[in-house]
Amino acid sequence: MNPATSNKHLILALLIGIVFHGTSIFFTLETTYDALIHLFFAEHYAGSWFEPWNYKWYTGFTVMSYPPLVHQSIAALSFIGGLKFGMFTVALIAIVLFITGAYRFSLLITSSRTVAGYAAILAVLSSSFVETLHVFGQLPSIIGISILMHSLPEIYLWLKTGRLRYLFTSLSLISVTVTSHHVTPIFGMVFFIFPLIGTVIMDVSRTQVNTMKEVTFKIFLASFFKLFKRIVTFGLLSLVIIITCILPYWINSKKNPITQVPIPHGSRDNFMEITSSGLVFFLIPWGVLLILLPYIFYRYYSKRYLFFGFSITILTVLGTGGTTPIPRLFLGETAFNILTLDRFTLWASIMSIPLFGEFVYRLAEGDLKTLIQAKLGAIYHRIIGGLFAGLFLFMTIFTMSLNYFRPSQPQKIKMLPIVNFLNQDQHDHWRYMTLGFGDQMAWLAAQTKALSVDGNYHSARRLPELTTRPIERLENSKFKGVEGIGSLQQFLTTPEKYNFKYIFSNDKFYDPILYFCGWQRLRQLENGIQVWEKLNVPPLSSILPKEDVGRWQKILWGIMPFTTVLIAFILNIQLMWIRALKTGRKTIPDYLQFQNNYTVFNRNVLRITHVWSLFVAVIVCYGIHLFYIKNDSHHSPDNAILAYYDAIDFKRYEKAHSLINPKSNLPLAQYMLEISVTDGLLSSYAKLDAITTKITAQSDTLAAVVVSTKWITPLEKISKTDYRTLAKVNGKWYVNPEDINLDLPPDQFYAGNTTAYFNQGRRRISTEQTHHEDVLKQPVLEILYAKLVKYQKSYALIGEIQNVDNVPADVVLKATLYNDANKTLATYNAKYQIKHKLMPKEVSAFRINFEGIAWSKTQDSIPKTFNPDEFTPVEFEEQPTKFNLQAAGNVSGSDLYKKSVLSHLKFSKEGFSGQLFNSGLKEITIPQLLISYFDSSKTLVWVDHVFVKEGIRQQRQQYFEYKFEKDSVSIINEDMTNCFVNGLPNSDIADKVIPNRIKDQTYSQLQAITHPVYSYIKIETNAYLGHPD
Amino acid sequence: MQTQHLHIVFIWYWISVIFMPAYAFNFEADFKLITTQKVFTAGTPVTLEFTTKNNTQPQLYVSNSFGATLLTPTAIKNRIQYSIPQHIASKTGVIYWSLRTAKTPLNGQLTIVSAPAVDLIQTYLGPPSISAGANDYTMLVAIPTDAYDNPLTDGTKVAVKRQFLNTQRIDTVTIQHSISYKNIFSTLKTGRILISSSCYAFNSKEYDVNVMPAPPYDFKIRYHRHHHFADGNQITTFTTSTIKDAYGNTTSDGTYVEFFIKTKANYILKTSGTTLDGVATAKMIHPNHEDTWSVKAFVDGMAESDALVLNYKAVISDFDLTRSTDNRKITVGPLFSFMHQMIPDGLEVTLDVYRNAILIETLRKGTSEGYVNFKLNPNQFPKGNYTFKVHAASITKTLNAVALW
Repeated sequence: MNPATSNKHLILALLIGIVFHGTSIFFTLETTYDALIHLFFAEHYAGSWFEPWNYKWYTGFTVMSYPPLVHQSIAALSFIGGLKFGMFTVALIAIVLFITGAYRFSLLITSSRTVAGYAAILAVLSSSFVETLHVFGQLPSIIGISILMHSLPEIYLWLKTGRLRYLFTSLSLISVTVTSHHVTPIFGMVFFIFPLIGTVIMDVSRTQVNTMKEVTFKIFLASFFKLFKRIVTFGLLSLVIIITCILPYWINSKKNPITQVPIPHGSRDNFMEITSSGLVFFLIPWGVLLILLPYIFYRYYSKRYLFFGFSITILTVLGTGGTTPIPRLFLGETAFNILTLDRFTLWASIMSIPLFGEFVYRLAEGDLKTLIQAKLGAIYHRIIGGLFAGLFLFMTIFTMSLNYFRPSQPQKIKMLPIVNFLNQDQHDHWRYMTLGFGDQMAWLAAQTKALSVDGNYHSARRLPELTTRPIERLENSKFKGVEGIGSLQQFLTTPEKYNFKYIFSNDKFYDPILYFCGWQRLRQLENGIQVWEKLNVPPLSSILPKEDVGRWQKILWGIMPFTTVLIAFILNIQLMWIRALKTGRKTIPDYLQFQNNYTVFNRNVLRITHVWSLFVAVIVCYGIHLFYIKNDSHHSPDNAILAYYDAIDFKRYEKAHSLINPKSNLPLAQYMLEISVTDGLLSSYAKLDAITTKITAQSDTLAAVVVSTKWITPLEKISKTDYRTLAKVNGKWYVNPEDINLDLPPDQFYAGNTTAYFNQGRRRISTEQTHHEDVLKQPVLEILYAKLVKYQKSYALIGEIQNVDNVPADVVLKATLYNDANKTLATYNAKYQIKHKLMPKEVSAFRINFEGIAWSKTQDSIPKTFNPDEFTPVEFEEQPTKFNLQAAGNVSGSDLYKKSVLSHLKFSKEGFSGQLFNSGLKEITIPQLLISYFDSSKTLVWVDHVFVKEGIRQQRQQYFEYKFEKDSVSIINEDMTNCFVNGLPNSDIADKVIPNRIKDQTYSQLQAITHPVYSYIKIETNAYLGHPD
Repeated sequence: MQTQHLHIVFIWYWISVIFMPAYAFNFEADFKLITTQKVFTAGTPVTLEFTTKNNTQPQLYVSNSFGATLLTPTAIKNRIQYSIPQHIASKTGVIYWSLRTAKTPLNGQLTIVSAPAVDLIQTYLGPPSISAGANDYTMLVAIPTDAYDNPLTDGTKVAVKRQFLNTQRIDTVTIQHSISYKNIFSTLKTGRILISSSCYAFNSKEYDVNVMPAPPYDFKIRYHRHHHFADGNQITTFTTSTIKDAYGNTTSDGTYVEFFIKTKANYILKTSGTTLDGVATAKMIHPNHEDTWSVKAFVDGMAESDALVLNYKAVISDFDLTRSTDNRKITVGPLFSFMHQMIPDGLEVTLDVYRNAILIETLRKGTSEGYVNFKLNPNQFPKGNYTFKVHAASITKTLNAVALW
């Protein structure tokens, strides 16, 4: 093709790219994993360009932990049309850069403008690019790799010609790459630039002889030494650029090394076992290229590209993640656990683009077409071409629609009500947290000036509560098993440590843990988000700590990225536009001298490609077959059981009902009715974690199965064993239904009175801070007993507390342990073992456990299985001997349902059973029992709790069982001098408010038990209501 | 101290007094203070006037507890005037001044007092609720201030007015150390005390304090039930008498009352209620077997009720057990109630399954139209010999050595 004419293919690629991606990003980008995080960073730069410290996440972090170019570009554009305008504009720029980059890289490799044009068109629609942009939203990564591709021809020319201008252009582009993405130039150096150097040496060697075959190792070595100076110059200078351009980043990485526990990532999975990871991190990025693998390897292992051959082999293997042990061995344990391996597959697919273009060119109008038409006929060629094109487009559309059919994010949340809430009434003087928002939390953070304890950029986590656990964020902790919920509940139990007062919950799952940690529902915002608040949390101080860095770092960080772009623009603009759009220059770049011969397609390659395609097709068909067998719910008893429990887990009751034996005459309406009357921890808040089935008996038409299920609930892990029978009807297996509770309450319609409370305050409409007339008196509490005890190896504070005021109180208990030398050893708050809301004169037993930051010392012994109530006792270096207990009461009018009644008790030596009766007007979702143990002299020695798994409807009963504690407890200290209520000494309060207290009045009503250690127990009830209104 | 020493002190004192002005005059002859007024009312213009011999115009350094400033004079012939700015002259207290001459400065002080007019009474009242019984008290702090936010002079009288039920009362307190306060003791009756204060005919706004009931006193309980049969279905309601404190005040709404029910087997069942108008109501489901309950209610640590004894008569005296041929279905029933009607649905029947005299499982089921069917899953209970114990309404029936097929 004449270089003076414009390349129609490239223009077509650009047009398609801009129209296709440019319109679809508006529907995809905001629901991707990363885009909103970059938006949040951009918001930071828009607000404070030169100040790297951001207070909004993780109690403060530095934005110097991520290269700034893309964020600063969005920020700069946001001054014109807002943050989202900036993001979409940068995305458009990224698309253009990627297409032109792919073109230039292909041109460099194939030395043919037509082939490069083909490659550019294919690059636009390639599934790996579509996935990276529309599913992952990795804008910096795309821009990084695009600029890297742009730099490759310049590097080639520098090495080949030794002209300094090319050195400068290539270095300028490397500097842009590094300011947009730090990993790209480092690995790009290894996987793209090293093979490129090899190719240049090959080309230089080639010019010394007549054919490629004559290039021997000797000649190669000679050429290498000839070019050695240039290679070393380029290598050293780019190293200097990589270090200096984002020097603050490296300094920060050095200062805050990633000492975090690795976060599991799908790209490290075994793709055979976890097929969803295989799909997302292997099948989609490779896409149709999988069929071309023999061709790609054949071409890249030809002499000129030999080093690209090595490179793509390594990339391909590394991209397989945990499927083979090679990546782990190759990278080493640490690197394997830190890196996300999907990037290797992405780079492999990008490296394949030129050859993909070449193949398609040869298939469409080159020697391959001739060969196929000659050998197999024109029709076959058309069918194959059509099939291939169809498959390619299918992969593109499939990838685009991935987020539509399997949304990785919750539904889009309207942020305005939350932003307004945070602006009201000085709510932004406390930290907040979101639950179940997905990556949209970053968008909320960008819109409000309020601070969050959570964050969405895991490398920047600072609190040990977060870094010691493999969780990205607290926000989605339910997907992270024990580590997630464990980390979350530490924040929920001691929120005052973080000035953390508000939670915006978009997921009902977390409600019980919030309630039992002492949080209360505030109201539901108009976007359906439930606001929870915690009382007795002090507001943030006006000056917050930060890690400051030198002024030169701030200036460098603020100026460098745009400077690199500016320099690169000035140096390259001529080349880039002129060469890409063919308007001026006539000279042919050096790399175009090494044209390929597209006249004779190797027959063996065609044969192997056919065999390989057949092999891939067989594997795919087998995969689909397996998928079908696995998903045909009626195929076997196992399938039916798994499908049934899966449907129950995801609340797809119609599907579940379709698996019920049709001969059992259970209509859907009846089934739904039975489902609707069951509530509780297990049926409303449990997530199926593991299920194993064991067929104990099976005939042709009947099967008996033992189903062992493990459920994750926000409060504890539940194991259950069900004995199910199945029947085969008309060749299909069905599950037989279970019996339901038939209890019928006596009253049909009944009335009940309750005391309801409303705090309207005395506040005038004014922004005046805490007007004293508005402040309610703190309810007076009295600590009846408090003692430090040792149970097994851990210490706990137990006791009883009473609300002695005339108004209901929310109770916050905070205990601190000291040793003999009055050194503080540990501080923690009461969590589950207390009734957090007390009516006037109500008593609650309590226990405060001292939890350490879990697994902070034994990083490698993190349990693999999930257990939300797993407890890590704090490790005491010294013996705690004294304690300080601070009780704080605050008026609260919510969660005061006290209508669970203990009935039908039966005691044995091991424990007791009974029925909990709901005597009130509201349905109890999760009943809780607090059990206090007393010794023979009626001294309180231990407090325990149990959650009853099923809920209780009004006037219904629920059976429960409880097993006694076996181990004895030793009391270490009973001295109550350091007990304080609302900041005042407990004894003073006790003397003043209830001077004539009848001590241990209800101890006459303690339940005597037969037990080797304990003599009496007291049972208290507490209840969580899922729907209090 | 000895007397002659005292004389020496006196002599020195007088010498100092006599020679002091001359001493000062000698050095500061250039400037002389003309203004004689030493005490000013806040807000009135305050001007210091000096005579000067040469025409120098030194700056005047002025300070009070809010800060300090330098003033430049205005000169009229051989006099210079300094007018103290409003923000200093309007604050009560002492103003120190010092004329910055080249030689030793000329010093002095002025006193600003508040005007005897009230612009606002700052009032603080707390705690906002107190307990009845004349022991607990709340404190009213009233700080009358003038137009410049200065507290009024000590000794000014402030009237504290209060109203409770039919009584009104005015107490007079005086301002001491810039504030006036009054401890208001609670009444014997609960209710609301309305409080206001006034000073120099200026009246504050209304404040109130709630007198809440004192800790409750012992009370009585009674019960109500539809019948006295132990059918495990009906509900017995326990009600307290109006719970009052030692002064006859009804306890505050929401007071938590716990009811302890001791059964014949010495098990302690528990229900609770919160008071409304002093009456707490608690419910308990009937037992499913003959029982005697002894009930007592408590407001923990403060008050308790008398004990109440209730009897529940057994409704089920006997029931039948039938088995299917393979023994895998055991039917309990019919279960009749006291009039030979079928027992209401939901009475719990349990089946204990023993194998080799070891309890391996307990099945629980509620009755449906008088019957309960237990199906023994072959999965859970493989073939073999078992012993079954069926419990319904404290009646136990045993099936020994049943072979399951």
